[in-house]
Amino acid sequence: MRRQGTLGWLGHDISRRGVTAWVTSVALVAFYLILYFGGTFDQQGRLDAWARSLFGWLPDSYEPTRWTLYGALYSVSMVGGGLFMLWKYRHNRYQVVRTLVVMAIQVSFGFSVPILLKVFGQPEYYFSYFWPLKFEYFYPSTIISQPLPFVVYSFVGSLLLVPVMTLLYGKRWYCSWVCGCGGLANTFGEPWRHLSQKSRAAWRFEKYSIHLTLVVALMVTAAWHLGHMSESQARAVCNLPELWGARPEAACMQQLPTSTFAGWYYRSALHPLMEFAKQYYGIIVLSVLSGVVGTGLYPLGGTRLWCRYFCPMAALLGLIQKLGRFRIRVKKDMCISCGMCTEYCEMGIDVRAYAQANRSFTRASCVGCGLCAEVCPRGVLRLENVSRREAAELNMSSFLDESWKG
Amino acid sequence: MHLVIIGNGVAGVTCALNARRRDPDAQITMIGDETEWFYSRTALMYAFMDRLPRRALEPFERGMWKQQRLSLVHDRVVDLNAERREVTLGSGRVLGYDRLVLAVGATPAPAPWPGSDTVRSGMVNFVSMRDLDACESAARGAPRAIVVGGGLIGIELVECLVHHRVPTTFIVRDRWYWPVALCRAEAQLVRECMMRHGVDVRLGESVAQVHASAEGAFQGVTLSGGERLDAPLLGVTIGVRPAIAQFAEFAHSPAMGRGIRVNPQFETSLPDVYAIGDCAEIQQADGTVLHETIWYSAKRQGALLGARNLWGDGVPYVPPVFFNSSKLFDLEYTTVGQVTGLPDRTPTVVLRHTKRPILVRVVHDGEQVRGFNMLGSRWNHEVLVRWIEERRSASYVLAHLREAQFDVEFGRAPLQQLERQDSTLAEANA
Repeated sequence: MRRQGTLGWLGHDISRRGVTAWVTSVALVAFYLILYFGGTFDQQGRLDAWARSLFGWLPDSYEPTRWTLYGALYSVSMVGGGLFMLWKYRHNRYQVVRTLVVMAIQVSFGFSVPILLKVFGQPEYYFSYFWPLKFEYFYPSTIISQPLPFVVYSFVGSLLLVPVMTLLYGKRWYCSWVCGCGGLANTFGEPWRHLSQKSRAAWRFEKYSIHLTLVVALMVTAAWHLGHMSESQARAVCNLPELWGARPEAACMQQLPTSTFAGWYYRSALHPLMEFAKQYYGIIVLSVLSGVVGTGLYPLGGTRLWCRYFCPMAALLGLIQKLGRFRIRVKKDMCISCGMCTEYCEMGIDVRAYAQANRSFTRASCVGCGLCAEVCPRGVLRLENVSRREAAELNMSSFLDESWKG
Repeated sequence: MHLVIIGNGVAGVTCALNARRRDPDAQITMIGDETEWFYSRTALMYAFMDRLPRRALEPFERGMWKQQRLSLVHDRVVDLNAERREVTLGSGRVLGYDRLVLAVGATPAPAPWPGSDTVRSGMVNFVSMRDLDACESAARGAPRAIVVGGGLIGIELVECLVHHRVPTTFIVRDRWYWPVALCRAEAQLVRECMMRHGVDVRLGESVAQVHASAEGAFQGVTLSGGERLDAPLLGVTIGVRPAIAQFAEFAHSPAMGRGIRVNPQFETSLPDVYAIGDCAEIQQADGTVLHETIWYSAKRQGALLGARNLWGDGVPYVPPVFFNSSKLFDLEYTTVGQVTGLPDRTPTVVLRHTKRPILVRVVHDGEQVRGFNMLGSRWNHEVLVRWIEERRSASYVLAHLREAQFDVEFGRAPLQQLERQDSTLAEANA
């Protein structure tokens, strides 16, 4: 039963897909559409103008754009939602520490540090994002043009720090402590976290969609490097200077000898496919899926649509997590199947299915937000890093606890 | 082989799922008259507080029943004929059985106070889906509420009413809240917690008279002290009793005491008829009677019956070292072993935080620990149970308490800040 009064109605309506939830969602989607794709009345230009008037006090070496405005709005939403989280879960130290960290990282590395870098004539670099989420950090152009320390940080971060930290602590160290996407979900998105789909059908879809996006992300990275390789070989063949920005013309590319890999690649059926992926990945995956769908649909589909179904980084971290130490510990026979854990899992994991079967578990999608353990009225669940790995996924026959077999 | 289970609560469902695993070919029919689908009764309070939609109370997806080939019949059983091995349903349908499991659960104890029989509306229990409907309609717009009973369901109902901003009076008959589980200091912590949430807690008082309007609408109570309290809602949470009244009218009924009498293999006095869960009263080998009424005991009994004893394995049920946990408003509570009902001089060690509501109590008999009561922090009962089974001494346990903590990361309760006080049970309850 919802609480009485107007506030009670609003609280229920906005968090349970009522009219206000739909209105909020439409507004968010419209905002993202304008941000990414503009509009007929030059709303993008208006956003840019607002940004300039708001951030005009910054030195001239930095030119504010609508993205500055977006970053500021994003940070304000996270700080506001974060303060709400800190108040709501003030008794839970894990939530307090985690929320403070994710807020601080957004405000610094996710917003002000990149601006400062640009002010001081450096590239706009986000230390809190890694490949394959920030897939352009592995572009050949980025690698060649960026100062060495940034390139080293990208590589060490993405290829060493990320997997090692995930093996040790699970993907939560990133998805729930560092990442801005997860950070927004866990702060501003708090009123909608329970809207995630819990069905097995959703789980099946997630397994396909997220790993498919990972494959595409890997493909796009490869496409940039293969393209770069074939283009620079073509330049060598037709004696063009090594130059950025301009791509060699088709006539030049045609001169690539068929005997080389670059020549084969350029003429193969793979090439147009890779070029297609390169061209549309940014629009489809990053703009539509992470922005419009991922955030715009918070009030209707829950907060982690992007993280759960599409984020290539989450997919990769999930696979590593399955090999690592992180697990959710379940106390034996203490679960009363109330379903609070499942309801408040933003990743749509049926936590109750594991808890009522007395099975500790590690799920690839779990971002370790810790809310299942928080809402459990029996203290059944605990997030842990242990050296022992858990058995495979739950299937129908393991719905039962068979410990009586001894 | 046709297995018929009466009752689709957690005992019956666990029994059915285990029976299906044991015999993939058995025909299994579950008859339940409360709801069409199995739901978690323990989550009623979260539905009441709008933290869970009703559908989320179902622990399994609805497709599961078909997939496991469990036929669900939403009906009432009106007759049992043990000679013909048949049960008759309210619809007139007759079902034959090879094995019959009675898992009919319990019903709330009726209000025993003078005048309560005149009440038609506004007097609610809080153990079934229908109770939840009644609670919700009674709480809507209620300016006040009264809840009587000093146990877990009572405090749950109070928490729900407080959540809906209904000023609530909680009437507890005993000298302090829940004396069968808590010592005085522990109950005091719980009481302070309730009072912080604005609950009017009345200790040592009972209902002398219930008042209703001419139409039977509940209006208020007169307490034993003479005070009159007016409210349109009375929550009656004074315990439950096995739901066995229905059996008296059947052609054959199993032998019954307070509940259905069964041996440790769950066999009733009728051939191939078994009983488990809240309705069963287990006659143990040592002559004592075991009547377990918690969620995990229903699950353990259902699993043992469904997986073993229905098939003639004859494994006696042995209850584990008792444990339970709960959340009393925002106070975490874990209990393991025996903490009450021991001799008065039983030594008890209390560790208390001077500022925060954290309390750890270790009961021992001088040689080994007997039980634990933990308030305000989370504990791993598996470790505490093991210490009791291993007959660890109080000094060993107190030195190793850290190993049993189950708090969230960064949030471990500060054991080193707790002040120790040694006393006896009698002193703790003085």
